[in-house]
Amino acid sequence: MNLLNGPVFKRLEGAISAAELRQKVVSNNVANADTPNFKRSEVLFEELLAQQMGNQTSQINGKRTDSRHFVIGQSDSVPGASIVADANTVMNNNSNNVDIEREMALLAKNQLTYNYYIQQVNHDMRMIRTAIEGRA
Amino acid sequence: MKLTNGFNVSASALTAQRLRMDVISSNIANAETTRGKFVNGQYEPYKRKMVVIEPIQPSFSDVLNAQISGSERAAGVKATRIIEDSSPSKLVYNPSHPDADEAGYVKLPNVDVMKEMVDMISATRSYEANVTALNATKAMFVKALEIGK
Repeated sequence: MNLLNGPVFKRLEGAISAAELRQKVVSNNVANADTPNFKRSEVLFEELLAQQMGNQTSQINGKRTDSRHFVIGQSDSVPGASIVADANTVMNNNSNNVDIEREMALLAKNQLTYNYYIQQVNHDMRMIRTAIEGRA
Repeated sequence: MKLTNGFNVSASALTAQRLRMDVISSNIANAETTRGKFVNGQYEPYKRKMVVIEPIQPSFSDVLNAQISGSERAAGVKATRIIEDSSPSKLVYNPSHPDADEAGYVKLPNVDVMKEMVDMISATRSYEANVTALNATKAMFVKALEIGK
């Protein structure tokens, strides 16, 4: 039975660690806002997840009777968050491309997204607790 | 936990901006200092100081851990050096000054107070932005403690 090991929960877990990583990367961008020749980085996760899930809706699913079988169609695997450096743009005359307004906006957005994920995790757990206790 | 590392990133920036602030204060304080250094029997005026900041290069173990556990390379910022501005000193005609030369000119430091004020505002704003980032990380950490409550 998949109480806490289901694909939804795994996706949430991946999203939370991606948000943590993004927090660190944005902090690093803000920290280096005055550093000459610094190039900002970004964390990709939601896009990768949407890509993976979007590709799977119309595909056939293979049933796996052995853990060594290849996965056909929908897989439970969650893509890992990846860091990409934005090396091509230039913002200031010292080759730094950190736009502090944008970074602060990303910071606020990431924080709200993180809170939302945590709330979702708590909601899932409450539902399971309701099922265990058998009362609302 | 990964989140604690975000504290280090922001803290390193706070340290670097604080150092910038200290150096700017020193420049403004010494804007009129004619006896900054004693070289070959003569006083030289104070030279404007500047902070060189660089991103922290991850160590070997950091890179290895990043390769094993997934990609993480954000490491923060650090001030590596304090260098002196080599632009020429200001010459002011003031024959009554104790450090005036034979022609009556005094060498004053190459500090432009206006420039220092602008740098100071920049350092203050950066410091504030990093405090905001630190607070955001802290709020996320507190939120993570609520999981399963």
